[in-house]
Amino acid sequence: MTELQAGQGAQTMAPPRIDARPQRYRDVLVALVAFVVLALLPMMFGSKQLLDFVIRCAAYGLFATSLNLLVGYTGLISFGHGMFFGLGAYGFGLMMQKTGVAIPVAFVATLAMTFVVALVIGAICVRLKEIYFAFVTLAFQMLIHSTILSWQSLTGGDQGLRGGIPRPPFLGIDLSNHLHLYITSCALLVIGLYLMRQIAQSPFGYTLRMIRDNATRASFIGIDVWRAKLTIFVLAALFAATGGMIMALFVSGAYPEFAYWTISGEGIFINMLGGVTTFLGPMVGTVLLLILNDTVTRLTEYHGIVLGIVILFFAIGLRKGLMDFVVEWFAQRRGEGSG
Amino acid sequence: MTRTRKPGISRRSTLALMGAGAVTFAAPWVARAEAKTIKIGMPTILSGRVAQLGTSSRNAVMLEVEKVNAAGGLAGRQIEMVIRDSKGQPQEAARIARELVNTDGCEMLLDGEASSGSFAVHEVARDLGVLCIHTCSEASSLTADPKQHIPNAFRCVRQGIHDSIVGAGYAAGIAKTKGLKKWATCSPDYAYGRDTTGEFVLYLKKFAPDVEVISESWPKLFQPDYTEVVTKILQAKPQALYSCLWGGDLTSYIDQANIYALFTQMEVFAVNMADYTALTVVKNLPKGIHSGDRYIKTFPATPENAAWGDAYKAKYNEYPTNWSWQNATAVMFLNEAVKKANSTDGKKVAEVLTGLTIKCPFGADGTVTMRADDRTLVGYAIGWGTTIPQEPYVPDVKAGDWKTIFELEAEWKKSKGYT
Repeated sequence: MTELQAGQGAQTMAPPRIDARPQRYRDVLVALVAFVVLALLPMMFGSKQLLDFVIRCAAYGLFATSLNLLVGYTGLISFGHGMFFGLGAYGFGLMMQKTGVAIPVAFVATLAMTFVVALVIGAICVRLKEIYFAFVTLAFQMLIHSTILSWQSLTGGDQGLRGGIPRPPFLGIDLSNHLHLYITSCALLVIGLYLMRQIAQSPFGYTLRMIRDNATRASFIGIDVWRAKLTIFVLAALFAATGGMIMALFVSGAYPEFAYWTISGEGIFINMLGGVTTFLGPMVGTVLLLILNDTVTRLTEYHGIVLGIVILFFAIGLRKGLMDFVVEWFAQRRGEGSG
Repeated sequence: MTRTRKPGISRRSTLALMGAGAVTFAAPWVARAEAKTIKIGMPTILSGRVAQLGTSSRNAVMLEVEKVNAAGGLAGRQIEMVIRDSKGQPQEAARIARELVNTDGCEMLLDGEASSGSFAVHEVARDLGVLCIHTCSEASSLTADPKQHIPNAFRCVRQGIHDSIVGAGYAAGIAKTKGLKKWATCSPDYAYGRDTTGEFVLYLKKFAPDVEVISESWPKLFQPDYTEVVTKILQAKPQALYSCLWGGDLTSYIDQANIYALFTQMEVFAVNMADYTALTVVKNLPKGIHSGDRYIKTFPATPENAAWGDAYKAKYNEYPTNWSWQNATAVMFLNEAVKKANSTDGKKVAEVLTGLTIKCPFGADGTVTMRADDRTLVGYAIGWGTTIPQEPYVPDVKAGDWKTIFELEAEWKKSKGYT
């Protein structure tokens, strides 16, 4: 790298110095308020569709936000993130069907399994750059998808895990009750988002931004880039797996489509819709995509055309995600107001 | 980044966007219809590679529903079908099924999903207790596996195991007559392909013990190029080939195998050939391919079946598919069950449906039955014949024997640990 390039990197980097504590308290407060609002929704609206919608938002939202930790914060464009969504769904479903352990145990065990798999896959993938990283993650995703299809005796092949996922009550929570499932999903979503926010705002989060902007410079100042990338790869996988577990509970099963590349594609699309420069961008993208999907499929079977036009609008018209646009718009308004 | 123009969204546009969002959420409540009609929900696949089959399911359902409505409806209530596209994704199928029941107020479900989607809808039926008839999934485990049994779910579909038993019996007869001992198989590499081929070979060897499989090919589902599969089979020089490729895969395979004159070098048994979607798409349909019946208006050779096929053709300007007759039969079952129960209450209808026999153009003897012990369709017309390149495509179909099917199916269930 030339000195000129290094100089450019330094200009784009320059993270602001923040006292983290007040922000952390504010995040806790926001998380609590969000949870309370979500928990009160069923009392305000009797709609079961709304509960289903929020549960799906929780599953996809955790998945998409975790993908943004890789794409937006670290510059790792993963095309295979859906494999962890699928692993979460299958790991949890199989654990509940085959072993009959308590749900929290299956939850933790699934995370542990995802941790190991992500560590192995990540150790191989994060050494690679850009398109090579994207394609090797995609290759691993297809490997896992093929394994699910082929290992019929365990996974049920293309028919998925049959017979429903048993949900024995634990600590007074009965996940076969839809309201309990809703509250649990909301709790997992809020906790997941809070933890990811803390990761993004921590010094480690700023290290990731530095790696994204200039990995060579980061390694020159003593950061172990490989280790940092691997850490975030594994952490993101854990949150994606949590999303997968919520989805498995929602549909009471796990299907190979959960580990197919289209899920990763949807994650990327959600990030494009919502925007990758703000933390809540993917969450907004999730809500937007699911509303679009649910409304458009209700109205027409030509949903492909409608969604295609929406993508074009964001890609060519706005050239950024919705949250990026909104944040810039507000910043500009404020600028005009003060000016 | 430099900005070339001022931000384009005004406050008015923002309000319009928010309004659109509010309408989105309000739509379900606005959409509630009067209770006089009975809504039946149907998630099916209307986009992607199998969209043609989903569309043919919808067509058949609408054809029958119009008849029922013209005759006064279900217990005096006009049927309103609510049909949505799941895109073949199980999570979408589950979501739509839940939405149809919880929000749109559908009192019954016709599940037009294949494979994993049908299992996802089955779980929704288990959860919500709504009456559900599966109309497209041929996976035997959907009803054979006792873990799947719930009192409110039925399957009105042919089954892989039935096809294998009848196909193997038919093939064994030809194998003995023509001395076909060396066999090859070529089927799609997923559960349906592996299971159906395994069962076919099992029963073929049972009926004709001399048979030996000398080559197996497992092309990927939706594989575009079959050259290596075709050459592999030709090199093995089998006397006969079995395949359960279907739809576009089967037609691509035949078109490509024709180039190598494969069909002149061996007897070919393709269980899914005799469906108009395949028969009419193949460029040069070879003479003499052996196939199971999917839907052919000449089998069963009854005026009722021919009339139904013609009525469908007249209305939609194309022939029905295998999924069409199954969906039509499901509506016929519902109509009869509601009449007998004199109620549209899901539980009462389910009780009557269990073990119900109805008159049906697609029955082997003019009737079909919803077998009581596993709530699945039996007695439908099932048989094998050979193709000719023009209509009626499969002129002489030999009917399978249901007594043999029942015996061997019971043995198969035992071997799988289902009974």
